[in-house]
Amino acid sequence: MNEADKKVDLPSIERQLAELWRAEKQEGERAVTRAALWNVVAHTGSSEAHAHATDVLSRASAKVPQRTIVVQADPHGGDDIESWISANCHLIGGGRQVCSEEVVIKASGARVDHVPPLVSALLLPDMPVAVWWLGDLPDQHDYVELLLDPADRLIVDSSHFKDAADLELVSRIGEQTTTAPADLNWTRLDEWRAATAGLFDPHGMRARLQSIRRLRVISGGDASFGATAEALLYVAWMRAQAETEIAFEFVRQGDEPGIGAVEIHFDESTATIHQERGRGVVVARADGVETSVDCITRSLARETEDLIVRLLKRPEADRVYLKSLKIARGLAA
Amino acid sequence: MQPNPLREGLDQERVPEPSCLVIFGASGDLTQRKLVPGLYSLAHDGLLPSGQTIIGFARAEMTDEQFRDSMKKACDEHARTRPVDDAIWENFARGLFYVQGEFADAAAYDRLKAKLDEFDSSRGTGGRRLYYLAVPPDFFSTIAETLGAKGMVNDPEGSGPYTRVIVEKPFGHDLASARELNRVAVSTFRERQVFRIDHYLGKETVQNLLVLRFANGIFEPFWNRQYIDHVQLTVAESIGVEKRGGYFDSAGIARDIIQNHMLQLVSLVAMEPPVAFEADAVRDEKVKVLRALRPLSPGDAVRGQYAEGSVLGEPAVAYRAEEKVKPESKTETYAALKIFIDNWRWADVPFYLRAGKRLPKRVTDISIHFRPAPYPLFSQQGMKIHHNVLAIRIQPDEGISLKFDSKLPGPTVRTAPVTMEFRYATSFGAEPPEAYERLLLETMQGDATLFARRDEIETAWAWLDPLLEAWKRDEAPLHLHPAGTWGPDAADELIERDGRKWRRP
Repeated sequence: MNEADKKVDLPSIERQLAELWRAEKQEGERAVTRAALWNVVAHTGSSEAHAHATDVLSRASAKVPQRTIVVQADPHGGDDIESWISANCHLIGGGRQVCSEEVVIKASGARVDHVPPLVSALLLPDMPVAVWWLGDLPDQHDYVELLLDPADRLIVDSSHFKDAADLELVSRIGEQTTTAPADLNWTRLDEWRAATAGLFDPHGMRARLQSIRRLRVISGGDASFGATAEALLYVAWMRAQAETEIAFEFVRQGDEPGIGAVEIHFDESTATIHQERGRGVVVARADGVETSVDCITRSLARETEDLIVRLLKRPEADRVYLKSLKIARGLAA
Repeated sequence: MQPNPLREGLDQERVPEPSCLVIFGASGDLTQRKLVPGLYSLAHDGLLPSGQTIIGFARAEMTDEQFRDSMKKACDEHARTRPVDDAIWENFARGLFYVQGEFADAAAYDRLKAKLDEFDSSRGTGGRRLYYLAVPPDFFSTIAETLGAKGMVNDPEGSGPYTRVIVEKPFGHDLASARELNRVAVSTFRERQVFRIDHYLGKETVQNLLVLRFANGIFEPFWNRQYIDHVQLTVAESIGVEKRGGYFDSAGIARDIIQNHMLQLVSLVAMEPPVAFEADAVRDEKVKVLRALRPLSPGDAVRGQYAEGSVLGEPAVAYRAEEKVKPESKTETYAALKIFIDNWRWADVPFYLRAGKRLPKRVTDISIHFRPAPYPLFSQQGMKIHHNVLAIRIQPDEGISLKFDSKLPGPTVRTAPVTMEFRYATSFGAEPPEAYERLLLETMQGDATLFARRDEIETAWAWLDPLLEAWKRDEAPLHLHPAGTWGPDAADELIERDGRKWRRP
């Protein structure tokens, strides 16, 4: 349930939020529990992206309770800033509801510069902060830096990146600030990484990790940089974890975005990993070894809210991603 | 062998090497309700290695296919990750096999060994063996000795693959029988090959007890006799003995719950910080608590039995009218104890324990009752000062709450108790894995931290035996209480004579 949005004055947002809870407690027949494990700030640049972020985070807050702040910033519009508040409530059984708050800020023109301090004032104390940046990263770095100042995590989606410069910027944020980057596209790789890892679990295969000659990654979608970013991250991950140079080839096949299959070539044999969408699994096979390996990995949900939830459930920065990002940046350059 | 680097950072970071898990007693209830559904859920979550092989061993005639069919039904009914996903099941079922045989039939073990050897090469299990004894303790020695005689147990001191045996409770019914079971176990296996399952230790909230105490700086300074007035532990079940009347009537609640689950909880609440989160370091500290238990005084124990009554709105028959229970039975279905841990941390702090069947609801709960403020600053206004209580709910609705006094809004100083609550379901949403899933995975990993060690079992029995003997000799009254109540009046008197009350969990 998403309570109807209530327009509020900027200085009274916190007071109005407190009022919202008092009203919930008094009016609600069910027991209401307020919970938050994260502050999640979604930054959008259009009303479509704003609606998408609101929808996604409303559903995500059922699994990871959070104070949600959705920002829509339009530096080219007339000078204006407005805010709304609402409660995201979800039944958890036993007649109980868990609720968390959502604050919406719409700013345009020069008032966009007021957004970072306002967001900073609205963050719940002691809870980590994730900033989800929807769309391409802007050139206006001061604004980004101010917004990211309190952030523990920057969430991006490299499938929307225009070029390698975006990857470069995210990588630099990881290296030069205390904000750890996270990529929804990296989370899409989870099932591919699990299936590949399963392939190399048996003793006979583990030793062959160093003798991979070539990776062939088949993915769909258009010819943009973003469409190949998932494949790029996969190759970077294999290089990072196998600690060896591996030749690679990207093949574009079909309209369905994302990786569809991977071939791992050794000197005399090939292992394959492919998605069987109908069965909802990723199947990995390696022949030509003493023990034939056949791994079945459950395909994971790829809706944006599932990816966000998976990211927020990992409390620490993802070291493997950071390692892989660095390599991906080099490969893309 | 180095860990698989491709697993770093994955949710499935700790996937064990493939092994053969043989379940003795595979046609039984435990296999169908907990073990195979638990293994399937692990496979569903990608936590089992490819090649993991499970062999059911039991007396019933069954083919591999029939075994798979019956296990699929069991998973559909009991797995955490139900309904069964066809693609995952198909792959999981390829590793399910069945061997028919009596536990004392040497030829059946030859058939089993032949299969194990075959899977070592065809499924890559490499000689790694887990034997799960889901059988009554009477069969333990027969199975262990036959496995040893057939050369199916590897010495852990050697360089070969591991062999481990998983044993279910009851670990004996007194000290002598526990010692005998342990003697049999170590005549075939080394102690570090024996994994004694107490499923309470696999529960997330029980593990969280250690995290609460030792990952947070604020609790440990107060976790001692200076600040804690007393501790209460409640393990309440709303159900009766169901189909276990025969077993329960020879055991009673003290053997069934207190000797194992409750003393495990006591040792986790009371233990000193271990030097590391490693099996022997944790268990060393736990056993020190058990060794420090003061011998029970007869006046500090109450035994009870449920009479006819009603539970959760349903009529409930008296214990003595339950199936397979003797009509004149004096077996306790309820017990309340006041115990002391004679060490520096806990000297003279009472731990009140109560466990029972057919109580008003199913709940397991630990509450730490702190001493009141040293000076009653607000008592002049006639206000009652409450104890602060830290309550840890083990099941159901797992969580932690802290009760403290707060000023009521208004011009006068009036206080009322309020609670700060943390609930797993509220904060983390996802359903935690079943205790058996965690414990099965730990045995595959060879981590015995969450399993009871021989000396823990024997120390617990040595402490409880005198009470059980006294009850056997009928030296203490058996108090009847209506089913659906919180136990006999004598249990209330046990705590109220100390000026305290049972907390309503």
